[in-house]
Amino acid sequence: MIRALISRLLAALGWGDASSSRGVAVEELQAEFQARYHHFKLLLSANSEALEAMTLLEEALHGQTPFGMHFLRATLTRLSSSVSRIIHHLEAIAPGKYTALLHQFQSIRHEVSPLLASNAEPPSGPLTLPLSSISRNDVDRVGAKMANLGELRNRLDIPVPDGFTATAAAYAAFLSHDGLGGELDRMIQARSMDGPEALHSLSSSLQERIIMAELPSEISDAIMAEYEALASRLASAPRLAVRSSALGEDEPGLSFAGQYRSELNVGRDNLLLAYKEVVAAKYSPQAMSYRLNKGVRDEDVLMCAGFLCMVQAAAGGVAYSRNPASMSDTAMVVNAALGLPKSVVDGAAPSDMYVVKRKGGLHIQSMTIADKNMRQVCREGEGIFRQEVGAEEAMRPALAEEEILELAELVLRLEQYFGRPQDVEWALDQDRRMVFLQCRPLYGGPRAPFRGDKGVPANAQRLASGVCASPGVAAGPVVFVKKDADALSFPEGGVLVLGHPLPRFASLLGRAAAVAAEQGAITGHLANVAREFQVPAVFGAPGVMGAVREGEEVTVDADAGLVLRGRVERLLESRPKARNVMEGSSVLAVLRSITPHVLPLHLVDPDAPEFKPAWCKTFHDITRFCHEKAVVEMFRFGREQNFPERRARQLVTDAPMQFWVLDLDDGLADGEWKPTVHISDVRSIPMLALWRGMSAIPWPGPPRVNPRGFLAVLYEASANPELDPSMASSYNTRNYFMVARSFVSLQSRFGFHFSSVEALVSDRRSENYASFRFKGGAADAGRRTARVRLIGQLLEEQDFRIRLREDCLEARLDGRPAAEMEKRLMALGYLIIHTRQLDMIMNNPNEAAAQRTRIRSDLDQLFQS
Amino acid sequence: MNEHAMKLLVVDDERHFLETLVKRLGRRGFSVRGADSGERALEEMSASPADVVVLDVKMPGISGLETLQRIKADYPLTEVVMLTAHADMEAAAEGMEFGAFDYLMKPMDIDELVYKIEDAWRRRSLRGLKIQQMRSRARTSPDET
Repeated sequence: MIRALISRLLAALGWGDASSSRGVAVEELQAEFQARYHHFKLLLSANSEALEAMTLLEEALHGQTPFGMHFLRATLTRLSSSVSRIIHHLEAIAPGKYTALLHQFQSIRHEVSPLLASNAEPPSGPLTLPLSSISRNDVDRVGAKMANLGELRNRLDIPVPDGFTATAAAYAAFLSHDGLGGELDRMIQARSMDGPEALHSLSSSLQERIIMAELPSEISDAIMAEYEALASRLASAPRLAVRSSALGEDEPGLSFAGQYRSELNVGRDNLLLAYKEVVAAKYSPQAMSYRLNKGVRDEDVLMCAGFLCMVQAAAGGVAYSRNPASMSDTAMVVNAALGLPKSVVDGAAPSDMYVVKRKGGLHIQSMTIADKNMRQVCREGEGIFRQEVGAEEAMRPALAEEEILELAELVLRLEQYFGRPQDVEWALDQDRRMVFLQCRPLYGGPRAPFRGDKGVPANAQRLASGVCASPGVAAGPVVFVKKDADALSFPEGGVLVLGHPLPRFASLLGRAAAVAAEQGAITGHLANVAREFQVPAVFGAPGVMGAVREGEEVTVDADAGLVLRGRVERLLESRPKARNVMEGSSVLAVLRSITPHVLPLHLVDPDAPEFKPAWCKTFHDITRFCHEKAVVEMFRFGREQNFPERRARQLVTDAPMQFWVLDLDDGLADGEWKPTVHISDVRSIPMLALWRGMSAIPWPGPPRVNPRGFLAVLYEASANPELDPSMASSYNTRNYFMVARSFVSLQSRFGFHFSSVEALVSDRRSENYASFRFKGGAADAGRRTARVRLIGQLLEEQDFRIRLREDCLEARLDGRPAAEMEKRLMALGYLIIHTRQLDMIMNNPNEAAAQRTRIRSDLDQLFQS
Repeated sequence: MNEHAMKLLVVDDERHFLETLVKRLGRRGFSVRGADSGERALEEMSASPADVVVLDVKMPGISGLETLQRIKADYPLTEVVMLTAHADMEAAAEGMEFGAFDYLMKPMDIDELVYKIEDAWRRRSLRGLKIQQMRSRARTSPDET
């Protein structure tokens, strides 16, 4: 076959009549080698890219890092384009030999593509609906928030402000107008989301793009017509609250609490702008990071908007029908602020807390009255403002006792009607009439109830105390966040310390170990999100900002409502292990459906009869198959062809082993071909590094197993049932270096084990890699496994990623600068030589430890030279 | 295969992106032109064919994939690197089938893009060399027979 290939090539090059045009032919041969090597090198780069993409997918599958659909689509697109290039370059190296791969590639692609597609039917129907026609059956058209309010108003006869909604169909129409949605997708894809700064800048360009977009006239006409109808029902021109009511909100475990936008006290002229702002808030930093952390697909979130008459609230707040930190606790919790309920929701102003027991008839168990020195009220014109409250009013309860009980009764009724605990936003209007603004299921953890300070060591220094807004215990360095700019540099694992627990700080909860805030209540939005993210939080802890120092290590024991100095190990030990936050999310489900077509590697043994294109069932299989075949084809072509200029040359060395060098392109110095080559003629950067490691420290010989030394190895070898006699000849195979200036591949069988090194080292740091495979040995399986573990451990110390399968080791290092790569190659070279018969002593722990120490000190010595 | 001899064309409908990229590649010594649509790209090609084209996939008017096909049909030696924010496996596969040199996703590190451009240029040069050699043999072979 190879002969045929060569004669085809010879014919193509007109090599037949060598004498007449020899000069031309040598030049052509040179070009041919260059072209082949270039394809090979491009294949290797594509191979590295494919492996990198697969590693990312694997980490996403097992790791704790959140990811979204954009990540999946981009990574799979990169992977698929790399695999396609690999096949293409192999085809160029060995034309016509492996074309069957294209078919395999296509069928895998056709399995994966549909899994990545967004399969949602675009919503249809009316663009707006009046609240009077909405019930909870309309959740797919108007979002959960508005559907629930419709249910309250129309079926339960509970007071809800009059209003209307812009539907999911309106949202879809807005996004498809002028290709807005496609452009947003493109903007997201094109921008890296690494780090909070990038997230904020992407978020602001997306929101700006939406706000600048033209609203299609059918939507603006429909909204304005609803407004005129509302105005004529009321016989006045009302001001409205415009609030998001997204589809996909309020799913179990997904509250999206306060992640979106409410525009309060908006007049007729600004309704359309407010609508666009609500839609744009889909891409607020906190909403984007919430979706990312929760594995919610962007395309599944359709922003509907509610337009409700503004309530001139005397008081307002949030009521929970149970304690969210412990659902078995049936006491109801009410937080009440003066003025608009917004103060409770965003933790911006102090609020009272009332606990209402339901056992033995509803009765108030406790009232904690805060100094409510501030309230938020509607402006004359538009918008809202903060107003100071007189000292006497500030200390009065925001609600009278009978009002608390009236509220509790309504909340209880809702819990019974909906059959689950409820989270309600309420307001008391100027006539002290109770009005409901929002109602949604309350999700809480199954954790033990508020523990109190039982279990807190007596010597632990208490810095501040407050209420448990989210249960758990965690420790970390204090990071103050006083303004948005502080949020940008918030480090992974920091303890977030705040004045006001504003909902927008939710974007930090993916990174925070714990939260402590001076203000805030357990019914606020940030508390809600902290519970979902399982980030322990203590709110309403006055003085905490002054009690801790930036950077100081503290323990937040939310179960006890305490902030403690230092790491209190006893409390931290009992902390349950963090689970994958993506668990149960739709994005993770998509990844799980894809990986069986991508990641598993079935073709592990190149000598197995299944090592064929038809058996390539995954992208990983194709990648491995092509890489193996490319190396083999390059080797065969170089070794078996008849061009004397390109024959392999024996390396002149003192070592007891023989090596041949095959130049793929520019790995040896120019000059006339000779049967031998000196190391001084080698131009290959990675080969020189590898050789330095192989030759620097003389091999001390096999470890002394017993006085007979090597005979023992032979004895073990003959007793090893895994040594197939048919393989015997391959142990005699010569050791070959295949080289180019930036490339080396060394396949060797030393004694009874097989190892291969491959590396690309040049100025292109991102393309650099070194990979190492090691297998076999003459000892029994237990000792062979122990040896690969030892080698793996040593390589991990050199920053390699390793993978062990029985007695087979794979190690790989990517993307280091050339100097560092050379150092690692020296280590590999050393290990190839010096671990040769280590398996003989691996069942002697003392001896094995001594060898490990020797190897480490040799490596140090090597690196210093 | 001197990079400075290469003629490079960047095609993207996003003006700001295009201008920035042209400027950055220019600073690295490339002789580079920009075109903000598929139509413009084809005009530029007929005025003076580029050796390497960096081409966006999603553009109004003639799409990137169609532009790719036309370039490969009329200028088979030209190598085309697709660079896009359009994460779509099928589009990527189509691009590769139509003979794209590579399919890169934005955001892209400028160094990596430069590497791809250099690789594409080397590929183009090696193919050019081969064709040259074949031509010169076609000229000399009648004398030999």
